[in-house]
Amino acid sequence: MQRRKFLSLGAAAAAVVTVLPSSLTATDFRTTAPKAWEAPTSKEAMEALFGSSVTTEGKIEIKAPKLAENGGAVPIGVKSSVALTTIAIFQDANPRSAVVVFEMGDNGVMDMMTKIKMRKTADVTIVAKGKDGKLYSAVQKVEVSIGGCGG
Amino acid sequence: MKIKAKLNGEETEIKLLLESPMAGKEEAATKKIEESYITHITAKVGSAVVWEASTGPFLSKDPYFMFKFKGAKAGDKIVIETIDNKGKTEKAEEAIK
Repeated sequence: MQRRKFLSLGAAAAAVVTVLPSSLTATDFRTTAPKAWEAPTSKEAMEALFGSSVTTEGKIEIKAPKLAENGGAVPIGVKSSVALTTIAIFQDANPRSAVVVFEMGDNGVMDMMTKIKMRKTADVTIVAKGKDGKLYSAVQKVEVSIGGCGG
Repeated sequence: MKIKAKLNGEETEIKLLLESPMAGKEEAATKKIEESYITHITAKVGSAVVWEASTGPFLSKDPYFMFKFKGAKAGDKIVIETIDNKGKTEKAEEAIK
């Protein structure tokens, strides 16, 4: 009961490690940044979503295969040594660049994975906004032997 | 929707498998099917949003996600809600083990 009350008050959760903070509100980036989802290149999508394409490299890590046999499901992982709030995956293999935008809760661990479609060999770019407000990026080229976009 | 929720020390690891063709404009035209893809996913424990994703048709068919967070305990429920491009929603929950 105490925990529920604590959450509803929205008090700073830093003091009690076992309690999840409730400060994060749901954001649908498809609504808030519609242009980002129409952009054909990673750079344009990045600018539409984050307002800049100037990023710092080296703090976040992309885990992707160098060669993907099946372009229909290419595993893409993201890890980071800095705390991130928003993480976006872009690629230049499909008609539009934006694939997914994650928002991390305050207690999020910077380690995640998903699978994307790529219909040809291209760069996959991760762009993330840190809690410090800076933009971080990591790029890896993925070679695709059988395209998986059906388009 | 399939959810696996496992506590490893202080980190909860969620593995999520959704069902959707994730077919965008071009793919729908080629395959002569309707455009159909999930557009947003929310993961909550209690009233706290622990993770969310705005999604598009270039995620794989039947999209898969792994993510982690701290602060939950065994027995807490993770609730996943999704909505697709036609406004269809789905909701499922799983106790953290």
